[in-house]
Amino acid sequence: MNIYSPSDDSPNEFNPGSSYDIAIIGAGPAGMSAAITAADAGATVVVLDDKPQPGGQIYRKVTSSPLTQPEALGEDYLKGAKLVEAFQNCNAEHLHGASVWHVGDNGEVLFSRDGGTQSLTARELIISGGAMERPFPIPGWHLPGVMSAGSAQVMLKSDGLVRDNAVFVGTGPLLYLIVAQYLRLGVPVKALIDTTPKSAYIDSMKEISGTLSAPKMVSKGLLLLNEIRKAGVPVYRFAKDLEITGESAATGLKFTSGHEGRQIEADHIFLHQGVIPNLNLTRALGLEHDWCEQQLCWKPKLNRWGQSSVPTISVAGDGSGIVGADGAALMGKLVALNQLQRHHQISAEERDQQARPLFRELEKLNKFRRFIDRLYRPIDAHRIPDAPDTVVCRCEERTVADLQRGFELGASGPQDLKGMTRCGMGPCQGRQCGHTVSELLAQWRDTTVDQVGYYRLRSPMRLLNLTELGQFSRVEPAQQSNTGAKS
Amino acid sequence: MTSMNSDVLIIGGGIQGCATAYNLARQGVSVTVLEKDWVSRHASGVNAGGVRLLGRDVAEVELSKASMALWHRLDDELDADTGFRARSLINIAADTQDLDTLRNRQSLMHGLGYHHEVMIDQQELRERLPHVAPHCVGGVVSETDGYAIPYQSTLAFRRAAERSGAQFIEGVAAQQIRKVGQHWLVETDKGRYEAEHLVNCSGAWADKVAVKIGDNVPLTHSAPMLMITTRMPHFATPVVGAVSRPLSFKQFENGTVLIGGGAKGFADRDNNRTRLDYAKMAVGARNVVEFFPIMKTASVNRMWAGLEAYMPDNLPVIGKSVNADNAYHAFGFSAHGFQMGPIVGQVMAELIIDGKSRFDLNKLRIDRFERKVL
Repeated sequence: MNIYSPSDDSPNEFNPGSSYDIAIIGAGPAGMSAAITAADAGATVVVLDDKPQPGGQIYRKVTSSPLTQPEALGEDYLKGAKLVEAFQNCNAEHLHGASVWHVGDNGEVLFSRDGGTQSLTARELIISGGAMERPFPIPGWHLPGVMSAGSAQVMLKSDGLVRDNAVFVGTGPLLYLIVAQYLRLGVPVKALIDTTPKSAYIDSMKEISGTLSAPKMVSKGLLLLNEIRKAGVPVYRFAKDLEITGESAATGLKFTSGHEGRQIEADHIFLHQGVIPNLNLTRALGLEHDWCEQQLCWKPKLNRWGQSSVPTISVAGDGSGIVGADGAALMGKLVALNQLQRHHQISAEERDQQARPLFRELEKLNKFRRFIDRLYRPIDAHRIPDAPDTVVCRCEERTVADLQRGFELGASGPQDLKGMTRCGMGPCQGRQCGHTVSELLAQWRDTTVDQVGYYRLRSPMRLLNLTELGQFSRVEPAQQSNTGAKS
Repeated sequence: MTSMNSDVLIIGGGIQGCATAYNLARQGVSVTVLEKDWVSRHASGVNAGGVRLLGRDVAEVELSKASMALWHRLDDELDADTGFRARSLINIAADTQDLDTLRNRQSLMHGLGYHHEVMIDQQELRERLPHVAPHCVGGVVSETDGYAIPYQSTLAFRRAAERSGAQFIEGVAAQQIRKVGQHWLVETDKGRYEAEHLVNCSGAWADKVAVKIGDNVPLTHSAPMLMITTRMPHFATPVVGAVSRPLSFKQFENGTVLIGGGAKGFADRDNNRTRLDYAKMAVGARNVVEFFPIMKTASVNRMWAGLEAYMPDNLPVIGKSVNADNAYHAFGFSAHGFQMGPIVGQVMAELIIDGKSRFDLNKLRIDRFERKVL
């Protein structure tokens, strides 16, 4: 990597300099696999990730865990070490601590690093920004003391921090996993409130055939639940009518389970109802997106090679739709193979031949995914809030009632509603409220979510320090690509 | 195919079109506004919201002064919340050369009988802006100035116009424009519209509409860029500019700081898109920190650009068509038209209803750049 700063008298001149063949945003399983595949074929590859170590959310610190017994985190976590090591040994440049805040459809990538802004260009881009937790907009979810179960796991993986006597609420494998991880580490858990409805168990049976190829993966969730019950944690099933109590901080949770109203006191409540693609990057890029009814989320429109509506930009991993860590690693390889072929670094035959078994494997996982998506499908009431006081936009503290007023004044799309109510204008750029707003408007207008659309997003994708923005420098490949044709 | 008829057809649903519709409709004129996207979609919805009389070209001072008086009572008049706040505007002098510039401007303005721009010395500058960098030597202030929320303001005119019967048709682009007898006929992809009078308020697309009316105009378009920070502790009440540097910002009541300064990105008008020039944004960021060190730690939350129309002399076109009867133009405001909206609406209504305006619009004629070809 070479860094130089353009002279101060001509800061406006954008010198294209030399480009990378492939820039990869995000060093999770998708990004690492893509990097290994592309670098091994001789492409100049750069991988940008905002964390100090590669691994993404799933394999965070897998080779440098702060825990004395990392095996408590489970086999699915530990196996990531192999991929991380392979990535560290490959020829791709790894810019860790690089927080990307702009990606252009012209191949320009801008990021904050070492207190300044750096830029680079690449012929092809791979967005592997992963997933985020689905918002869980129930009454009181904005109160201090309420966090997502995912952030509880981040605290655990990166700093070894835990919360005693917390209540876990929601549905999905990650929720059971984190509770199990807590218990294995000897952390007391007050209760698990499972919101998976009875009907989901029946509906998901329609997809059961898809799981026959992966029986181990199905039993995994059940084993975790068993483990939790055996540890003596009260498990309340089919919970609904959730309401977090408390004025200035959470004091407990009200809910019904088995037709019975219940109330549990707790200072720490962890919510989780699955994950959705992190849209800020692909949306700010202006890529086309579709609403996915199976996963109840927006997804970038991609071909089978992960290529987006901008042909030089591909998306892999959970950012393309939830595929899981194994699916993400497969997609990363496929996307890289396709980009290598686009640059004549491998032939179309080589690409197809290497891709065939990967596609087969991915299809197996997709069948299993349909079952999982059915079983852990969050119910409408937990996605589309009804109570007027429920906060939708946490940054600007806008409630259902505020949005309803904006809607009645004529704001029919998310962008108008943003202009009218400031919903989605805060620092998270709509990450927390975007899906909720799309679904709320679809319900109010009695139309499809696709018709309603999403916010129009812009860079920066995350908050950007003004001093950092003022320090502009450029990064170029340390070496030129050693195979293949130049475009 | 039948067509929709009205007395006046306005092309363009920005603040100029909405204010014109409002002033006509409240006098009983039937008005239809055609907007190719949606009302307030472009420059009128995403500009910096500056309501500025300070530093105006003498050709538009009278209009701007009259508009400022309207802004101070606009919420009552429109029965809406435009977000207008009179906070004063200070242009900062960074060195003695800037002070010379200000002195020259002062004698020009005083000679014309204008006294709304008042020079301030270094001490007063620091009293009004305690966080200004020590190297700044003085400045000039206009007390009536301030800011408003662009989207809300444009919408306020629209709603008031609608209450008086004006029609707004969104998502309809004018394709053909021609005169049939005494009437203008505008064909769109969604029907035909007919009216006796035609008003061109089409912003960055106004040259295309002007040509169809019969007037050529040397209009260009660009994409002025803005950024806004997250909430900061209150540190600046007045709107801030600089005499000779590309610096402009205002802190809103919620603590966010909107930073402008005139740096331009890239405008792709055919696709309704803009692209930002981040290296230029970086220069803007450095300027703000240099003038206000407290901004060192500010966090930028959003950046954007709007599609804006520019004339070669940075003055708008306001007036009648020179080549066609019953056609009128108001466009090319060159990134300072938002403040003029309220008065432009009145002027256009005067031109249409009375045939003339109380203002001298000679320097704003559409044909002011036409000359003999040698």
